[in-house]
Amino acid sequence: MTAHPPYDSAANASPRLTIMQGEARASADPALTMTTILGSCVATCLYDPIARVGGMNHFLLAEPPDPARARAFDSDYGLFLMELLVNEMLKLGAVKSRMKARLYGGANMNRDLAPIGSGNAAFARAFLAAEGIAKVYEDMEGHQARRVEFRPASGLVRARMVHSDEPTAPIPTHKPRVPAQSGFGAVELF
Amino acid sequence: MSQTAISVLTVDDSASMRALLRSALTSRGFAVAQAEDGQEALEWLAANEVDVIITDINMPRLDGFGLIEKLRTSALHSDRPILVLTTESSDDKKQRARNAGATGWIVKPFDAEKLTTALRRVVHC
Repeated sequence: MTAHPPYDSAANASPRLTIMQGEARASADPALTMTTILGSCVATCLYDPIARVGGMNHFLLAEPPDPARARAFDSDYGLFLMELLVNEMLKLGAVKSRMKARLYGGANMNRDLAPIGSGNAAFARAFLAAEGIAKVYEDMEGHQARRVEFRPASGLVRARMVHSDEPTAPIPTHKPRVPAQSGFGAVELF
Repeated sequence: MSQTAISVLTVDDSASMRALLRSALTSRGFAVAQAEDGQEALEWLAANEVDVIITDINMPRLDGFGLIEKLRTSALHSDRPILVLTTESSDDKKQRARNAGATGWIVKPFDAEKLTTALRRVVHC
């Protein structure tokens, strides 16, 4: 599989791009708006204000934090989508030390179940801290879904709560077993 | 097989990825050293021995391609197995790594069992 190319609105009549769970996309297109809807998933909006390049990912770790599994597949998956986002931006001229992050989502949608959203939120915060990427804003956790709109070339974000009876509310999904944009650990010896 | 642990140098600018690799490899009996980019790896390799190198591609100062090219022209490490571990999935980049002298290409997110199998294979072949 190949990674998506940087999005180019000139080739598309509608300059809106929905970021699905398991994706990470970057763009420097001033006309483009990236959108996503988040329940317990987290989206990272990363922006380099000098290069005017931005990107968004959207991930869900399947399980709440569990010390015995802390470094198992789930956190690897989040880590992959974070690194993919950073790399897609580097390709467009962004510099990691200039990147600023905004975090959204991570709601605990069902009060009776394990706090999956909080687990996703904690992972995202820990990643940014470990990588030295400045977190300039977060709107996470709580119990409601969110709709996020991000202009990657200006870094502007608009987020609002989505009520569960709205038709745009996210449908609960399970994490895909295979991340959408990866070769899934393929090993090739030359 | 020798009881001596296989020594691995991992080269990656992401602190999170370094922590993940260290955990995955030490728990499977490998001796792990780590560098944050190609330049630090070169400096470390000037004074240290290692059985196999795992390197990322996108890194500041000296990237993975540059690191492989420099090692292949060095007297000490011209035959050292070097595995590329990357989110890059383009055939162009893979071919470039191959031309530079990489021993293998592994796509993230990695599967720890597949990674360690590949490490043992390239060290013992």
